[in-house]
Amino acid sequence: MTDIVPPKRKLRVKPTSKSDRIFYGISTAGANSTIVIVLAIMFFLTINAWPTFEKFGVINFVFGSGWDNTLENPSFAIGPMLYGSFLIAGIGVVLAVPMAISIAYFIEFMAAKPIAKATALLVDLLAAIPSVVIGLWGLTIFSTVGAGWGEMLHDSLGFLPMFENDAGNFLRTPFIAGFIVAVMIVPIIASVTREIFSQIDKDLISASLALGGNRESTFRKIILPTSSGGITGGVLLALGRALGETVAIFFVLNLVFDEVNWLRIVLPEGGAVASLILAKFSDATADEVSALLAAGVVLFVFTLFINVIASYIVNKAQPWRK
Amino acid sequence: MEKVIDLSPIERPKKSTPWSAISVKSRLILIVASLVPAVIFLYLLTTFNLDFMAGLLLTFLPMQLVSSSLAGILILGRRGILDGLMIVTTLFLGSFVFVLLMSVMWAVIERGFAALSPQFIYQNDVYVTPTTGLEIGGVGHAIVGTLLLVGLSTIVTVPLALATAVYLTETRSKSRGLIRTLLQALSGLPSVVSGLFIYSMLIVTGVTAYAGWVGSLALIPLMLPTVARVAEEALRLVPTELRNGALGLGASAWSAFSQVTLPAAKSGLVTAVLLGVARIVGETAPLLLTTALANNTSLNMIEGGISTLPTYLYTYVGLGYDTSIQRAWGAALVLLIVVGILFAGARIASAGKKAKKRK
Repeated sequence: MTDIVPPKRKLRVKPTSKSDRIFYGISTAGANSTIVIVLAIMFFLTINAWPTFEKFGVINFVFGSGWDNTLENPSFAIGPMLYGSFLIAGIGVVLAVPMAISIAYFIEFMAAKPIAKATALLVDLLAAIPSVVIGLWGLTIFSTVGAGWGEMLHDSLGFLPMFENDAGNFLRTPFIAGFIVAVMIVPIIASVTREIFSQIDKDLISASLALGGNRESTFRKIILPTSSGGITGGVLLALGRALGETVAIFFVLNLVFDEVNWLRIVLPEGGAVASLILAKFSDATADEVSALLAAGVVLFVFTLFINVIASYIVNKAQPWRK
Repeated sequence: MEKVIDLSPIERPKKSTPWSAISVKSRLILIVASLVPAVIFLYLLTTFNLDFMAGLLLTFLPMQLVSSSLAGILILGRRGILDGLMIVTTLFLGSFVFVLLMSVMWAVIERGFAALSPQFIYQNDVYVTPTTGLEIGGVGHAIVGTLLLVGLSTIVTVPLALATAVYLTETRSKSRGLIRTLLQALSGLPSVVSGLFIYSMLIVTGVTAYAGWVGSLALIPLMLPTVARVAEEALRLVPTELRNGALGLGASAWSAFSQVTLPAAKSGLVTAVLLGVARIVGETAPLLLTTALANNTSLNMIEGGISTLPTYLYTYVGLGYDTSIQRAWGAALVLLIVVGILFAGARIASAGKKAKKRK
């Protein structure tokens, strides 16, 4: 009896004609270009950065501090820069997440359709503005405003170590850089969140409202729990973008190489790996170039790691995409 | 006596969302609750000359929060408090983003137009020093440079990206997951790392000096994931039935793709290319690491300096004089117009597709 039903055959599609073979060949070659690019980035950056890693040690280079490009006795380490990158990205995310979720909630659940469409268009527009333009805006317009806000924070909450400032100057602080980054990542988080919100089962929301829930309890008990995974992924994507932001941060931040500015966000001392590369590149010595490439490797590894996790989470939260 | 059983189903109420009905009383409460803080705020503003921003944050927002939670209590009872607070917070944060966007746009438009003039568009900067007035000199050479560099990147990237998208949608290979993951990882590549990569590959090793085509290469890893992923989405939107129909009629994979899938996805692919161009046209850091600046119009991509709009902007900001900052704003406006055109083009291309589908 068992042999009556033939075993399932695997269907195989094999290109038969010549044009098909060429077609599949070209598409495979094109797809492999992605692998080639990623491998080439790793290979060429690492091979040129190797002298630095060898000389100073990976741990020392990544977590130590100090940047001295004298020819006789150079020493390079990016600890303060790396920490600064994360601090600024953290400030940006903390500022951006409430704004982005509010916008997404407004578009999906509050606004009438034409208004929602217009708002979505504006958010996309904000995403399309080049970062160098936002950097110019941050340098000439927002810096003074942000310095005023920083001073306000210092005056009212100065007893907290976070808002200490003994420099008497509130320009070029991590707070301002974080805010600029927030402006750039709001559209990223908002668009991911909106996509997740739009896919929530509408019956769930109706059920919650019909059972006597109000806006707030529906949001807290239905919308947030079902979409939290996707939002986390969106935040991580934004974090990756924030870590790689270069020119805008370079415009509005004072880089300090010698010591880590742990938490004092309104003090004009900070760091960012990507901005370090830009700041030191133009007149770098040969050793320094290798160190800058090493900094690029570190940045690449961190952003790659964060992005892979983020896209894994986002994909998992959007099963309808498969 | 026969019992007559009515078998017709219970009629569904016409209005199936009773919770969204708002009584007249609630409406009145809502209007009063949103008007009172605004009126008080305006009164305070005019009589005490408050600072607008500080007043907005420290008087208007708290008043609005209190009044909306009061309205929540009146309408829904005690659990209405959080409702009112949430609505006010959402609207406030949303409009804050709107204000930020308007601030950026307004700054660029206002200051950019101050610098903009016909000669600013077509002249180059050969006779310009950082303090030269705005009567002579402009971004002409930078526009040409941007067109050349972005054009070369586009020519190289678009075939690669489209082939990748085709690979992801039309074939059943096992490594599609890997390619997709790598693409997503690549889409988060910091732009400065892309510049460093090309710099370490071609300039450190002595293959070439700073040149336009090196800059174009540095833009490719940034453009590829954008185009590939949007194109993949566009190809995926083509119904499977269409493809299977073509294949079932005996078409080869290539002719099914070129005669059925490609025409159906055309507008989506155009959108993909435009979005990709918009992504790289404002990239600054990779070009700073791979191209040398020039102040003359240069068509030579093989050697010598070549300016682009973003690097022009960056350089003039770095100079720090008033007129140079003005020039930077002018360049920012030109850049924003270019991005706006690409963005609008992408919108129109994808809107056309939807309109056709509805018919």
